[in-house]
Amino acid sequence: MILRDTNFNFVGRKKIWYLVSMAVILMGVIGFFARGGFNLGIDFLGGSMLEVQFDQDVEVGQVREVMEDIGFGGAILQRTASDQYIIRTTTRDVETKNMILDALDDNLGIQRPPLQDRNVMPGFGRLITRLALIAVGISIMGILIYVWIRFEFRFGAAAIVALFHDVLITLGIYAIFFREINTATIAALLTIIGYSLNDTIVVFDRIRENTSDASKMGYANMVNKSINKTLSRSINTSLTTLTPVIILLFIGSTALQDFALALLVGILSGTYSSIFIASQVLVSWNNRFPKFKK
Amino acid sequence: MRNKKVHIFILFILGAVIGASLYFAYPFMDSIDLGLDLRGGTQIVLKPTQEDIDEVTEESIEQAMFIIRERIDALGVSEPLITRDYTNNIVIQLPGVKDPDRAMEVIGRTAQLEFRILESIDPQTGEAELGPVLMTGDKLASAQAGYDPTGRIVVTMNFTSEGQQEFAEITAQNVGEQLAIVLDGEIQSAPVIRQAITGDAVIEGIGSLADANDVALVLRTGALPVDLSIEENITVGPTLGRDALTGGLYAGAIGLILIAAFMVVYYRGLGLISVINLLLYIIIFWGVLASLGAALTLPGIAGIILTIGMAVDANVIIFERIKEEIHKEKTARTSISQGFKHGLRTIVDSNITTLITAGALYRFGTGPVRGFAVTLAIGVVISMLTSLVFSRTIIYMLAGFRRVATPQFLGVWKRRGLS
Repeated sequence: MILRDTNFNFVGRKKIWYLVSMAVILMGVIGFFARGGFNLGIDFLGGSMLEVQFDQDVEVGQVREVMEDIGFGGAILQRTASDQYIIRTTTRDVETKNMILDALDDNLGIQRPPLQDRNVMPGFGRLITRLALIAVGISIMGILIYVWIRFEFRFGAAAIVALFHDVLITLGIYAIFFREINTATIAALLTIIGYSLNDTIVVFDRIRENTSDASKMGYANMVNKSINKTLSRSINTSLTTLTPVIILLFIGSTALQDFALALLVGILSGTYSSIFIASQVLVSWNNRFPKFKK
Repeated sequence: MRNKKVHIFILFILGAVIGASLYFAYPFMDSIDLGLDLRGGTQIVLKPTQEDIDEVTEESIEQAMFIIRERIDALGVSEPLITRDYTNNIVIQLPGVKDPDRAMEVIGRTAQLEFRILESIDPQTGEAELGPVLMTGDKLASAQAGYDPTGRIVVTMNFTSEGQQEFAEITAQNVGEQLAIVLDGEIQSAPVIRQAITGDAVIEGIGSLADANDVALVLRTGALPVDLSIEENITVGPTLGRDALTGGLYAGAIGLILIAAFMVVYYRGLGLISVINLLLYIIIFWGVLASLGAALTLPGIAGIILTIGMAVDANVIIFERIKEEIHKEKTARTSISQGFKHGLRTIVDSNITTLITAGALYRFGTGPVRGFAVTLAIGVVISMLTSLVFSRTIIYMLAGFRRVATPQFLGVWKRRGLS
């Protein structure tokens, strides 16, 4: 077997893994400030969007010009296909919408009704944001409590560290590439939380099972052995989960691609963190507060 | 190890489940309700905006939903779905709506009709001074839009017999005054009362017949007990969703084939079982989704795609464990039972965390995100069941045959360890 009886020294280089992760997260933080924050969608900020199908291919400049002529120079344009655009403006009424559509139709030619028409009041956006944060909070609390009950507090804490790691990295990627964050992104983030935990728990489960070996070979070696024993499962499951996600990234619609991107980053990060972060935190914890032989 | 009868019984039950799933899942594409984001249509979220928060009660929201349903029916929109989320917002889905803008206008209108005396008009600001409310729209029997004899657009309001009497009294007492007909705070018309009116009342001064029809419609269905404001509205054309659906199905199908190939190459005989397991998973998943009447949404597709990959995880965990036991020079039978014994706890623990997340998403999510939570939760539960019931039973049964229970079959490539 390709990965049978591996004996990689994961634990010995834990400082390197910590540094790698911190560097990636730091890049995200820098990206966040360089971009002036996240690219939040109308789900959170309120506002309007029209997804328009033009009769033929049009350039961003052409659409921009029409929008400027009718006083919407501040509109955000996103090209979803060579002849499709998402046009984001502040919240507007039906008359304004029809004015925008008329102007685009007269100058460039569009198909009506538009592919998508959406209007969110700013207050509703705030509500959605609050609910999303509550959902994340409740999830994390629930998981911490579950892991605490099934394992030990230190396992729960280490799992939460790994989980924050994955969420921060995913959000960092969104900050760096200035990808729009919407409610679907939040759903993807929560799924990443679930997946990351799933992965971490498989490794933890083996560590728990092997705990008795710690007195012989030391805690760090025992953890390292556990990681190696579960390595081929970690990799195989990541592969099988990633396969359809990557395909979706290539052939899905714009909205599905957004979702797939978040999942892709999250799954990679989740697999990485279960091996290189969560388990290492357990070792560091045992070094700091020895319960077993180091 | 359990005996043969138990295994056959389990397979029998499983066969029944699959049969039921196929029954619900057939015909494949038509058995599932599609969410608005996939089939196209309009979704409107209405929030109660009453200043005095006490007035927004469970009852008033229910009543508002009832009235909204009547208005939608009057508009002739098919298959409306009117629900309430836990923040008391009313969520309306209209898959078949032709004119979303008009639907929004009609649905969100409070339609509070009042008859009041116009006392004076401020000559500078043009603001009207109105007397107390003499009568409201709750005593209307019906209302129709049309033209009066002079060809002007009017909405004719017929009172109930009680209303007719009351209206006659009011008009008799106020002959010579101007009677303002106020709809949602706006004076529609204010004719001078020449004599007691015993018949119908009319609203004049409406711009178009279409508008008059809408006014008549909302008056007929009655006033909403609470003011509602449109917080969000989405209209998705049918093509956008169709593209997303086909893209998602292709991704799922291609993913499935690649995963199947990988599993068979890597785990051999066991891999083959996991592929059958995966197919059963998809059939049962589709059947459960269809029988629950849960709508498939765009994020829901992503959820399915994700769970296809995760569904083999339970098998991977067990197979890896079985292989490990084989390498410890144990017999195939012992290896299999050890693999399942150790794998079970891991699988349950790791899946429960995903279920916790799905629960939070369902509770606090809105619209499509809820659809995602439902598919995720269904997927996790079914994948656990199929791998722990189907794979386990089949593998135990096959382990009884000497020719089958070889290390090769269990995915171990080198011939070793079988005692």
